[in-house]
Amino acid sequence: MKKSFSIIFIVILLSAVLNGCNQKVSSDLPVEKDSVIVVMGPTSEPVAGFDPAYGWGAGEHVHEPLIQSTLTTTTRDLEIAYDLATSISVSEDGLVWTVGIRNDVYFTDGEKLTAHDVAFTYNTVKSESTINDLTMLEKAEAVDDTTVKFYMKKPYSIWPYTMAIIGIVPEHAYSPDYGQNPIGSGRYVLKQWDKGQQIILEANPYYYGKEILMKKVTIVFMDEAAAYAAVKAGQVDLAYTSASYSDKAIDGYSLLGVETVDNRGISLPTIPYNGETGNDVTCDLAIRKAINMGIDRQKMIDNVLNGHGTPAFSVCDKMPWFNEDTTVEYDFDGAVALLDEAGWIPGDDGIRTRNGIRAKINIMYPASDSVRQALAAETANQLKALGIEATIEGVGWDVAYNRAQREPMIWGWGTHTPLELYNLYHTVPETGLARYVPYANKTVDSYMDQALSTMDLETSYNLWKKAQWDGTTGTAGDSAWVWLVNINHLYWVKDNLNVAEQKLHPHGQGWSIVNNVDQWSWK
Amino acid sequence: MKTGMKKSITFLAKNLIRLVLLLLCASILAFLLVSLSPVDPLQVNVGQAALGSLSREQIKKLETYWGVNDPPVKRYLAWAKDFIRGDMGVSLLYRQDVSSVIGQKLAHSLLLMGSAWLISGIVGFSLGIIAGANRGSFIDRIIRGYALLTASTPAFWIALLFLLIFAVWFRIFPIGLSVPIGVEEGFITLTDRLRHAILPAAVLSITGISNIVLHTREKMIDVMESEYVLFALARGENKRSVVFRHGLRNVLIPAITLQFASIGEIFGGSVLVEQVFSYPGLGQAAVSAGLGGDIPLLMGITVISTAIVFTGNFTANLLYGIIDPRIRRGAEK
Repeated sequence: MKKSFSIIFIVILLSAVLNGCNQKVSSDLPVEKDSVIVVMGPTSEPVAGFDPAYGWGAGEHVHEPLIQSTLTTTTRDLEIAYDLATSISVSEDGLVWTVGIRNDVYFTDGEKLTAHDVAFTYNTVKSESTINDLTMLEKAEAVDDTTVKFYMKKPYSIWPYTMAIIGIVPEHAYSPDYGQNPIGSGRYVLKQWDKGQQIILEANPYYYGKEILMKKVTIVFMDEAAAYAAVKAGQVDLAYTSASYSDKAIDGYSLLGVETVDNRGISLPTIPYNGETGNDVTCDLAIRKAINMGIDRQKMIDNVLNGHGTPAFSVCDKMPWFNEDTTVEYDFDGAVALLDEAGWIPGDDGIRTRNGIRAKINIMYPASDSVRQALAAETANQLKALGIEATIEGVGWDVAYNRAQREPMIWGWGTHTPLELYNLYHTVPETGLARYVPYANKTVDSYMDQALSTMDLETSYNLWKKAQWDGTTGTAGDSAWVWLVNINHLYWVKDNLNVAEQKLHPHGQGWSIVNNVDQWSWK
Repeated sequence: MKTGMKKSITFLAKNLIRLVLLLLCASILAFLLVSLSPVDPLQVNVGQAALGSLSREQIKKLETYWGVNDPPVKRYLAWAKDFIRGDMGVSLLYRQDVSSVIGQKLAHSLLLMGSAWLISGIVGFSLGIIAGANRGSFIDRIIRGYALLTASTPAFWIALLFLLIFAVWFRIFPIGLSVPIGVEEGFITLTDRLRHAILPAAVLSITGISNIVLHTREKMIDVMESEYVLFALARGENKRSVVFRHGLRNVLIPAITLQFASIGEIFGGSVLVEQVFSYPGLGQAAVSAGLGGDIPLLMGITVISTAIVFTGNFTANLLYGIIDPRIRRGAEK
């Protein structure tokens, strides 16, 4: 009995092993020339699903929601182009937007995309969403199959930028579980989702727009070290990486640096210390201007980012609403002269004092971020030469917001709408000062309010620029924020992969790189 | 016969009560820690730059969703009330039922943890016996040295080392995930899944082995120095049969305790190993839930893992009775 049992066992084991040996292991399958494998960080996986209502396409790292179509898109220069929309007009008072929709678009389940789907999408996103902020929208209404009206609560000139990241979902096929099996009209169809690991996208055969060159896109989610290992093993085609890996050389791959608006800047309180907010050193305009002028941004990029970055002079460098007059030349002597004139006299230890106040500041940075820590240290180093003593301190986010009202802090910003300018510099009604650092300038406020209510985008760009500098005053003149660098996003790319030209990436590394993956090709 | 039944029922009831109390304490502790933590779910999940673009109205909406301003006691009671009825709630991060999220992740982890547990148990036990029986010999020194070495090396370091050696340099094994990259469901074979599980399982096993080896070795040494073994050897029994007929039985009980107790250790070790190999499992979900302030998911994982560890120890308890008649009879008295 025992003997026959063991014989049967051995036979079963052997057949399983032999069977496994004969079967072609799937990694032996031939590599297709119209497919690509991209590695992103684990936080890029939309764990809540591919649902615009749950933030797909939106949030900190805005990107095109490949599976769905959007009404507008942003071009390489961050101007607005039409995607689903055929016409956009807005009423005199800025409260009603009328958008015409194409009538030749079909979802991948064969149903036609109409204005009713658009209205449904926006109303759902407004009520459900947590990351997409549609509080300025009253409601969306489909007038007929190809026209939709958006009723706003207040004038909002940058509405086209919001329209560029909200993917349109089918009303007839929507449920809270939509994100798990999304049906869209975009360039790609979700073929497979191995949760926590990879996503396989396939080209949409019914797509209405430009021909899709890359037929199959596999996105793999790995942390930085594993991504690096994957590149070294040659198993992926493009992988994100950071400055710390940038000096390696890998056979068959080259390093791609993409310019971004992913900036780092330091906030400086502009009012004297009143017990709760304000800072007695940075409240002096001369100090703030000297810091802006006296920091060698290129040196900072070379030291901290290994050269992978560009100097930043605003929160929106290179965007259509950036005022180029606000760029500053590195002028150490000019900064010194400014400080001398303002009465900051250097003492025996080289540190300046004025009226008994020592030029000493404490620069905070988020404790978990090593790049911001390095930037803080580099800033402190450079300020010493100017005669300003700076200590650095890592803080947690639970106290950072509060303390930033009193002490300088290194922040990271950068997105594809001018709304950020508004949020950083505009005063809030509760305090009469800006939200993140005590600062107020009525002229700046009024320019920005006008910009939001001016419906012509070109005119509004000019108003945003005026808010930065109109010849006499502006955010650049007040230097409540001194912008340091724009960090380049780095990627390892296989040698014969042609990555299509990238638009400026926003804050954070993620889906931006594959915004135009449909135009990538193999040489 | 009746007293036997009664004893079993009291035994089971006692343990059930223990389980309930344990789950209660574990859940309260976990909840307390999350409530006290300075982590702001909005900051973590929305991100500082995006948070800066949201209007006050939207931020309030978010705060309601993540329960930031709810009093902790009220939150806990609400969760407990639902949990008792079998409703583990909806994960704030994944927007799906906690039970389905845990189910998906656990299925992947089980293969990994299960195989690591078995391998570390069997190999560890055998190595411990060999070392203990041949105390002082060359092979004993090798085994002991190996165990001590692996006892002090962190699991993720071994994981990175293996990844480097086997996946990058020699390219024998894949660099991670539980399925081949870019391959559709229908084309994935069992061989593929096993290939992807080998490295992570090997790493997890290695880190679990050292404990079992060293303890088994100690017990084996004790046994070999006992009087009955001395007597058996004096009577002419050869060493091999002494080890198998006397040694094994006595070492078995402490070995089983260790083996089932190591379930908790394997659970913990799997978190970092899964991260290095990008293997989708419960460990990663726990980390995201904890750091992201996803309370329903975190509590669900806490309760499930506590229950698993408890079951492990309880099984060890049961097995004592089965393996060692003395314990069974002692209980019956």
